[in-house]
Amino acid sequence: MFRLLPFFFLVLFAVVPLNAVEISRSLVRIEATSQEPNYKSPWSPGDVSSGVGAGFVVAGKRIMTNAHVVSNARFLTVFKEGDPNPYIAKVLHIAHDCDLALLSIDNPEFFKDTLPLDFGGIPEIESVVSAYGYPVGGTRLSVTRGIVSRIDFQIYSHSGMDSHLAIQIDAAINPGNSGGPVMQNGKVVGVAFQGYSGDVAQNVGYMIPTPVIHRFLKDVEDGRYDRYVDLALTYSNLFNPAARRALGVDGDNSGVVVSSVYSGGASAGIVNPGDVILKIDGHTVSSDGTIPLENEAVPLDEVVERKFKGEKVKLDILRNGKSATLIVPLNAPWPFKLQSHLYDEKPRFVVFGGLVFQPADQNFMEAYDPSDQRLNYLFDYFVSDEIHLARPEIVVLSNILPDPVNAYAEEFRFSVVDEVNGHPIKTLEDIVKAFDEQTDYYVIQFAGGSRPIVLDRKAVDEARPRILARYAVTSEKNLEK
Amino acid sequence: MKAISFQRILWVALLFLCPFWVASAVTDTAPGASDASLSQSLLRVNSTNQVYEFFQPWIKKPPFSRRGIGALLDGGRILVTAELVANSTFIEIEKPAGTKKSSAVVERIDYHCNLAVLRPVDPAFVEGMKPLDLNGPLRVGDEATVLQLEPNGEIARTLGRITSISVGNYPAESGSFLLFKFGAPLQQRDGSFTLPAIHKGRLIGMVMRYDLRNQSADIVPTAVIRHFLQGLDSPTYPGFGRLGLSFAQLRDPQLRRFIGLEEPGGIYVTDLAPRGPASIAGIKKRDVILAVDGLPIDQDGNYEDPDYGRILFSHLTNTIKYPGDVLPFKILRDGKVLEIPVTMQAANREDSIIDEHLFDEPPKYVILGGLVFMELSRPYLKEWGAKWTSNAPQRLVYYDAFQNELPADRGRIVFLSQVLPTSDTIGYQDFDNIVVTKLNGRPIKSLADLSEAAKQPVDGFQKIEFEEDPKLLILDAASIEAHAETLKEHYAIPSLERL
Repeated sequence: MFRLLPFFFLVLFAVVPLNAVEISRSLVRIEATSQEPNYKSPWSPGDVSSGVGAGFVVAGKRIMTNAHVVSNARFLTVFKEGDPNPYIAKVLHIAHDCDLALLSIDNPEFFKDTLPLDFGGIPEIESVVSAYGYPVGGTRLSVTRGIVSRIDFQIYSHSGMDSHLAIQIDAAINPGNSGGPVMQNGKVVGVAFQGYSGDVAQNVGYMIPTPVIHRFLKDVEDGRYDRYVDLALTYSNLFNPAARRALGVDGDNSGVVVSSVYSGGASAGIVNPGDVILKIDGHTVSSDGTIPLENEAVPLDEVVERKFKGEKVKLDILRNGKSATLIVPLNAPWPFKLQSHLYDEKPRFVVFGGLVFQPADQNFMEAYDPSDQRLNYLFDYFVSDEIHLARPEIVVLSNILPDPVNAYAEEFRFSVVDEVNGHPIKTLEDIVKAFDEQTDYYVIQFAGGSRPIVLDRKAVDEARPRILARYAVTSEKNLEK
Repeated sequence: MKAISFQRILWVALLFLCPFWVASAVTDTAPGASDASLSQSLLRVNSTNQVYEFFQPWIKKPPFSRRGIGALLDGGRILVTAELVANSTFIEIEKPAGTKKSSAVVERIDYHCNLAVLRPVDPAFVEGMKPLDLNGPLRVGDEATVLQLEPNGEIARTLGRITSISVGNYPAESGSFLLFKFGAPLQQRDGSFTLPAIHKGRLIGMVMRYDLRNQSADIVPTAVIRHFLQGLDSPTYPGFGRLGLSFAQLRDPQLRRFIGLEEPGGIYVTDLAPRGPASIAGIKKRDVILAVDGLPIDQDGNYEDPDYGRILFSHLTNTIKYPGDVLPFKILRDGKVLEIPVTMQAANREDSIIDEHLFDEPPKYVILGGLVFMELSRPYLKEWGAKWTSNAPQRLVYYDAFQNELPADRGRIVFLSQVLPTSDTIGYQDFDNIVVTKLNGRPIKSLADLSEAAKQPVDGFQKIEFEEDPKLLILDAASIEAHAETLKEHYAIPSLERL
């Protein structure tokens, strides 16, 4: 038994030039204490929980990890392999839309023996990679190996809304691997970040590839993270021969047709629905919406993915059968955050006479899981039906803290507020303003025209302090975003 | 009006008699209710039903059968629930002892109130049998007997009590009618709970469903049955009036003070069907209804019924009154009291944007090159199962739930239900359940519009515009024409259109 061990190490050594002993100078374990706000009692700071993830040292005395490892963090400690001392860390930059973060360490001693890792390119399909981390709770480094199975766009589940390039590997990736480096030939080729639970798929793990990492590192060079820019449009394939002829597209393998252009986004007023996109920054667009990039067919969005706020993208299009070239300045990120998971934000709310008002966003919808059909429609179709034009925020009566003043309000739970005393309620600020008015009655009208809730001002003024005390509500509102 | 008040007097008179009856009728064996004579009034009804497959509207799902017990009425008619015989392909009737079988056809059916009358194909089959009389109103606590049949033809009686009388939802979910709850441990014998219930040998209603856990049966009472049977010999069925109005209770004193409501009672109008009687008469959202037909409406929407006590006023408007009757509504609007006469009217399908049910009729569809178009109906949404409101496509569910808010000229919701992959629909197979706005530049407000617009291709193309992505689909008009027969053969579709 003892004799076999060195042999195994030799085999490992032959395949992976940088072995586990060397990686131990770069790999760190991150213990995060976080506080996740409770959207059901938005005034409370939330429960404190802790978790473990991995990270690695990169150039500039920084540690790279996943955003989800350090989201909502209140206190972070970092451990080096073979060093029992905890080092206090701070979040330097965090990018929730691509699940990456950079940490700094207060104590300069920390970086004394560490080895910053370099980044490689996109590994080839079927090539071998090794994932390093601290899966399921251990305090010692763990290595798993596998091959690159697929390179494709994936939804990044941390935000739930953003899709970027991701690489699927069959090395075991488990909780605790998050943020750890995936290595090939001594270089980082990805950051392990998500996978499927065993009952959905076996041996499917994902890593964030280096184009996404490089973009993040470049974005923060100016000291702040500006998020991804986005064309804010949708397009459909152009496989159908009749559609190709009708739109006047020559040949049989290029172009996609624009379906929707979202107002408020970068393409609004420049690109029209029905335009056929033939080229993006000179790359020919296939009828399935892909472009050839670095020997891979990737969605045309990848061109925009690699750009930064303020840059431009060039589209060669066909409009009503005529060629044209459009320049889209990428000044704006995806304009709607409400359908993404939100982190490091305090829930916005207003409590008035025991009635709790909150804007509907992803966190809110997950916390309450309301079955109200109108609310679900407004939320689901907020972007595609341009609900945001009339209602930048969907203000919902989310909860009732029972008191005589609101004894008949329960039936309105999850109703969407339309007006208060005739003032349209488009944002949470509007409702605060309306409640600040001195009138005899506050008449709250809901979307769909049910009966209003009427609050007698004198009664509600009396009730407000009483309700705050009874339900330990520390503040009547938070409007901070 | 006169006939109604006469009936009311009659029922009041019956009520006076009730206590004596109850005292003497613990086992409900009054004269004329012996087993032998009762079995002369009952028939087993076996209905074979078949519904359309809404995801492939050109085919029917496998047939299934429902069995229940019908009550013989005057004129050789058999009363059953509508549920028993909805979508029937064949109805078999059988005498209790099971010696003889015959068939029957539906003479009148109303899915809203869940009732149907059947006529035997051979009138001689029920000759010599004894029709059941309809009983008058009952009170909570009165005893009744539900009748079932043993395999040998013996009558199985289950005695119980009326535990509540209220206006409640009927299975078709398209109306609220008077409903008796009847408490008794019923056994599952006949394949369904379509069973007659009697009191003193007279029919008090039809059981339509049974809640095993609470041992409680829902009974369609004679008040509803009488209304349903009205004018059975005349060709037109008056049906049940439908006000087309939703309301909220007015319990909140702050709201009552705000709208200046001093007298007790009143309900708040929250929603109106655009072409319903209430809307046509001029009742508006935010009106307060104080009284209907001179009867005060309380804050919960109840009135004092002489027979049944405090029940929802819709019993008055839909069951006591008939379409065509004019009811004065006392309304409070902007602090002023108005009287608005409302002419009751039966639900008219043409007035609704979305069909609530499609019993006994095939769903419409049009297939263009492999794109299957339908009109939105609730049965289509219900193909997503019991949790259809959360599982079915949200936009379609939203249209169904909030159809009253759509513009008055919206017309029917025509949508692409699915794409059958063909050479003409290459690249389109991922699209489904998206609403059509235009075809070849023409606005689409019904499947007939769509079928008509398809005859006018633009530059040789069928250009279908949608409310949401992909916004536009294009087909080659000549090519889909040429491939029509292949498509029919390939997917075994008898016809590419059913309007």
